[in-house]
Amino acid sequence: MTVRILLAALMSVSILSGAGSPRAAHAQTKATADEEVPARPKLGAEELAPPPTPDPLEWFNQPVFEFNLKLDEYALRPVATAYDAVMPDAAQRGVQRFFKNLGVVERFANNLFQGKVPQAGQEVGRFVINTTIGGIGFLDVADEWLGWKESPEDFGQTLAVYGVSSGPYLMLPFFGPSTVRDTVGLVADGAMNPMAYFLSTVELLAVRGGMALGSGINYRSLNLELFEDVNRYTVDLYGAVQDAYLQRRERQIEE
Amino acid sequence: MREEENFMIILRTVFWKIMGVSVLLLSFNTWAVADSPTDTIRSTVERARAVLDDPAYQGDDHRQQRLEKVKAVVLPQFDSQEIARRTLGPYWKDRTDEQRKEFIQLFTALVEKAYSSSLDRYSKGVQFFFDQERIDNDIAEVDTRIFDPTLNKTFSINYRLRQVNGQWLIYDVVVENVSLVNNYRNQFNRILSKSSYEDLLQKLQTKLQQLDTASPSES
Repeated sequence: MTVRILLAALMSVSILSGAGSPRAAHAQTKATADEEVPARPKLGAEELAPPPTPDPLEWFNQPVFEFNLKLDEYALRPVATAYDAVMPDAAQRGVQRFFKNLGVVERFANNLFQGKVPQAGQEVGRFVINTTIGGIGFLDVADEWLGWKESPEDFGQTLAVYGVSSGPYLMLPFFGPSTVRDTVGLVADGAMNPMAYFLSTVELLAVRGGMALGSGINYRSLNLELFEDVNRYTVDLYGAVQDAYLQRRERQIEE
Repeated sequence: MREEENFMIILRTVFWKIMGVSVLLLSFNTWAVADSPTDTIRSTVERARAVLDDPAYQGDDHRQQRLEKVKAVVLPQFDSQEIARRTLGPYWKDRTDEQRKEFIQLFTALVEKAYSSSLDRYSKGVQFFFDQERIDNDIAEVDTRIFDPTLNKTFSINYRLRQVNGQWLIYDVVVENVSLVNNYRNQFNRILSKSSYEDLLQKLQTKLQQLDTASPSES
């Protein structure tokens, strides 16, 4: 119940804050900075490039970002490093697949919502095969043997397909970079999870948070060097993470 | 007399026509010889790879030589001024020639360092795929993928090029859908809009010093 109220509230914020959304700004960047090969190369057009991505919630995002960095530095990274030392890479990838397999309901529903019926069907097939033959999801035999690829659609993307703009950039504790729309998506996807019927909202959030942390540690340990690199070669880590999230997210939605 | 004059005129026209055609042919010829964007990327990757696979340059002892050699292959393919210009965005036009030069030098050094550490993770089993290219006048994009067997993962890397004096030069690299130029521009613009150009320079210099003091073979 509470989940639904929260959802409705976030949804209205998301819809209301359509103007000045990072996505709109990005669309603008696109036109001016040759994001796509333009019809006629506009040399010097980047002088007209827009000011930095609008970030009306920066007052909130900045401290949460600092919190996430501290969380990473003192909890996630040490745990991930230790975990990396004892767990073979193949096992880590297995764990990653296990966590992904659990997201089947969300992917099924969102593929359906977006009219991707064959992909939705394939998600069910993937779940059945990987949960049984694939040893509760540790192996992705559906992809390896049958070439059934995962179709990673989430509710944030569904909203985007229905024309909901991203709303301001939003940094979430534990979960990392997002937008207001994608946060709504995250909550909705959580509510779609079968666990939602058995657990209270608080329990559900705790479980989801725990799962995010678990898969986060696993992901972090798989990419230890990658994270170090990003940290090392940016002059403004906040801006780098923000831009990378928005660029990738925009691309995911396009596909 | 009139006939002779006519003859001269015809001769002159023919002469100029021949000249015109040969100039055209010549230019066509150079155009045909110029590498396509994909050829440029492929040959650069292959030459860099040859250095990385060279038994003479293996191991930590040869790291510096190896990097220098790869740098000599790769760097001429980049349009560093264009990259710098695009990352500064609207702030580029306010810079003097001297400031631009300094900025290009600092920024190039930073990107170079970022890429050298990813070169350290290169292994022989890495596979390259050149998927497609799109050309629009003097702008092109080449889509490639890299398969890393140690991570068992495929990364997408797209190169954006522009033609400068008949040669294709890279002005942006898009790794896993994140454009390097856009990403740095967002960082730089945030600093520039909040504080000053001097602050950005300071931050770049500090970063480079930090990277220099950190032992290179550590990563």
